Amino acid sequence: MDILYVLIPLSVGLVLLVLLALWWAVYRGQFENVDQEAERILRDN
Amino acid sequence: MSKPFSVPVFPAPLPQTPGAEGNGASNAADLLDDPAEWPHFGRPLAGAQAGERWESHLVIEGMHCAACALTIEDALRAVPGVEQVEVSSATRRARVLWNAGLARPSQWLDAVRKAGYRALPAVDVAAREQRLRENRSALWRWLVAGFCMMQVMMYAWPAYIAQPGDLSLEMEALLRWASWVISLPVVLFACGPFFSSAWADVRHRRISMDLPVALGMGITFGISTLGTFAPEGLFGREVYYDSLTMFVFFLLTGRLLELRLRDRTAGALEALMNRLPDSIERRGSDGGFSRVALRRLVQGDVVRVLPGEVFPADGSIVAGNSRVDEALLTGESTPRWRTVGAQVSAGSVNLEAALEVQILRLGPDTRFGEIVALMESASLQKPRLAQLADRVARPFLVGVLLAALGALLWWWPSDPQHALMVAVSVLIVTCPCALSLATPVAMLSAAGALAREGVLVRNLQALETLAGVDTVVFDKTGTLTHDRMALAQAELAPGWTQAAALGLAAALARHSLHPASRALVAAYEAMAPGASPAWEVLDASETAGRGISAQVRPAGSTDVPRAVRLGSAEHAAVERPDLDGVQVSLAWADGPQAGRWCAHFALQEDLRSEVPSLLRALAAAGIGVQVLSGDGSASVARVAERAGIAQWRGDCTPADKLEALRALQARGRRVAMVGDGLNDGPVLAAAHVSFALGSAVPLARLRSDFVLLSGQLRLVGQCGLLSRQTMRVVRQNLWWAAGYNALCVPLAVVGLMPAWLAGLGMAASSLLVVTNAARLARTLPPLHAASATPSLPVAAVARA
Repeated sequence: MDILYVLIPLSVGLVLLVLLALWWAVYRGQFENVDQEAERILRDN
Repeated sequence: MSKPFSVPVFPAPLPQTPGAEGNGASNAADLLDDPAEWPHFGRPLAGAQAGERWESHLVIEGMHCAACALTIEDALRAVPGVEQVEVSSATRRARVLWNAGLARPSQWLDAVRKAGYRALPAVDVAAREQRLRENRSALWRWLVAGFCMMQVMMYAWPAYIAQPGDLSLEMEALLRWASWVISLPVVLFACGPFFSSAWADVRHRRISMDLPVALGMGITFGISTLGTFAPEGLFGREVYYDSLTMFVFFLLTGRLLELRLRDRTAGALEALMNRLPDSIERRGSDGGFSRVALRRLVQGDVVRVLPGEVFPADGSIVAGNSRVDEALLTGESTPRWRTVGAQVSAGSVNLEAALEVQILRLGPDTRFGEIVALMESASLQKPRLAQLADRVARPFLVGVLLAALGALLWWWPSDPQHALMVAVSVLIVTCPCALSLATPVAMLSAAGALAREGVLVRNLQALETLAGVDTVVFDKTGTLTHDRMALAQAELAPGWTQAAALGLAAALARHSLHPASRALVAAYEAMAPGASPAWEVLDASETAGRGISAQVRPAGSTDVPRAVRLGSAEHAAVERPDLDGVQVSLAWADGPQAGRWCAHFALQEDLRSEVPSLLRALAAAGIGVQVLSGDGSASVARVAERAGIAQWRGDCTPADKLEALRALQARGRRVAMVGDGLNDGPVLAAAHVSFALGSAVPLARLRSDFVLLSGQLRLVGQCGLLSRQTMRVVRQNLWWAAGYNALCVPLAVVGLMPAWLAGLGMAASSLLVVTNAARLARTLPPLHAASATPSLPVAAVARA
């Protein structure tokens, strides 16, 4: 089980990376106009 | 024609203020000292010192509950030259009346900043950006808290299930270290707003909801950090990262949902205010069109409004024709056909083809401007119940801090760590936000729902009063009828058919604008639409108040014209017929048949079709109906009888109406007045609640509490039902908030409530209040539903 001593710090780093991805998504406006994007596929062009 | 400067136009974009954060804030505020900027976020008040006194609107950032609103009000009032301040915690808007001779906007904006909040002038561009920023940062904080909470829970799980000896000391220390690292972004970033707002509270020696919450978070994180890095210390080796992150997540979930709901609730009002375009195509001196900012327009300009665009100002069409959607301004959902010469209003939408419009009125002078001004001032008023909640909130918070301290002291001797966690639970579980949001949120949702139907609420307090109304008085017959008459009955002489008689009468009536004439023409057109005229009318003349005389001959013939008369029995020189209503007679005036009547028509006031269902609904709700009219008794009696109203009085002078109203009130009746809102100022003012069916009247001159822009009478009943619903929701909210706090605070004090549950409870109770209020914003209650529930109990429902 010694591998846990590597995996736990690794998971902490992973969490920070995920947070970075979320930050990117929020500030690029990925969560705004959610409904509108869902309807886009129903449009012809 | 050119004008030296433009009329104040709103809403117009502010100059860009880069770097409005931090140091730049004061510069941005200085920009606002330029009097040319003032009209963009307020308006000068008329009166003795015209141009001196201004009313300005602000958006406040960083405000979380009613106690904050009070603080900002105090800060603003302390500035010399500021005369009146109203801050609404529900909309986060402030209204400031200030004297330009004594104060500058930068001074009072500064006062808000020093109190620990950010104020922006309520101009749409700036406000919209702020809204976006606020939404994004709320979402981002929530995601950080949520994701970190999940991770912390994973690290906490082994400690939950491990048997003694399963987990080595090193492994436990590693897991705690990992939890601590992951909790850091939650505490430092996601909780940032709580801490900064609590810090501002401490510096200004006041109290708001964030102080206990921040104290709770700080203490929990402090104990857990000590437990991680100094397990041999006073507070033992327990850690609470899981509780901490979970309750931060719950709190932020509550705040985020509240923010969303508030945006949606305010949506109806905002949709109205954000309606005008930013720019428009204007015709230049060379005849070409170029796009200019809205604030550059002056009266008399010609602008081109493309399909899909919104009219920027009131004006008349000079070229083109199109269908126009005026739903927002009138509640009328069918688009109207508008051609050259027709008037269009700012805020309505051009649907089909490009129109060129000459501008008649701009900015606050437009009907749209009047509506916006009304809505803005209405959404700021604090209903009585809300004021009560505000007064309760501050002492309540002091009580909570004392209770937490008491619990801490009580438990300390036996177990310092447990004592601190109990105090934390007490701090977190209380929720004065629910208490102070209960009323304003419900009233604003109701006002929003009404605004969508074309009903303006001038006075939120009126919703509360309307719920208790038991008598509705119509102060004009005209409010129950259309302003036209309708053909009710025709009596024909032998040899005449109704079509023939009506055809001849209509041919004459076309030469008059009298309501009776128009009714005959309308009746004929309804009977034979598009028929070519059967008679040629020569030299028609009208004797005012009596009738029309003319020479007629069958269309296309060259016969000698015959004299014919249409009008009262005296005018037509025939015997008075025995008919009900206003009588019009048709008779030949020369030839062998002179003095012989051809037909008698009886005309009646055209009762609005929604009147019966309205009266049924009112009766079902236990509300009496009366008519007090200035019209002649005969016509009032006719209308009252057809509508089924037993109590009526005709020939009333305004003094009579006032006296009758006072008599009703003396008998303990609570009276709503429905009128055109103009002529009966004292009567409307004396009634408990007043409605105006003001579709063609300058809104600024209306004195009523409710304005029905669409003139649809059924809305009177629906307003009444909605007001009762609103008060029911307000009571539920208040009971819920009070019951929740009464139940949970003692539980927390005796130590039965863990911190995470306290966080959940607080977030849920705030949320419940807002969601409950949001039910009101959906649709207006239909009138027929009222008859299904004969009595409308306004009972409070308390859920414990």
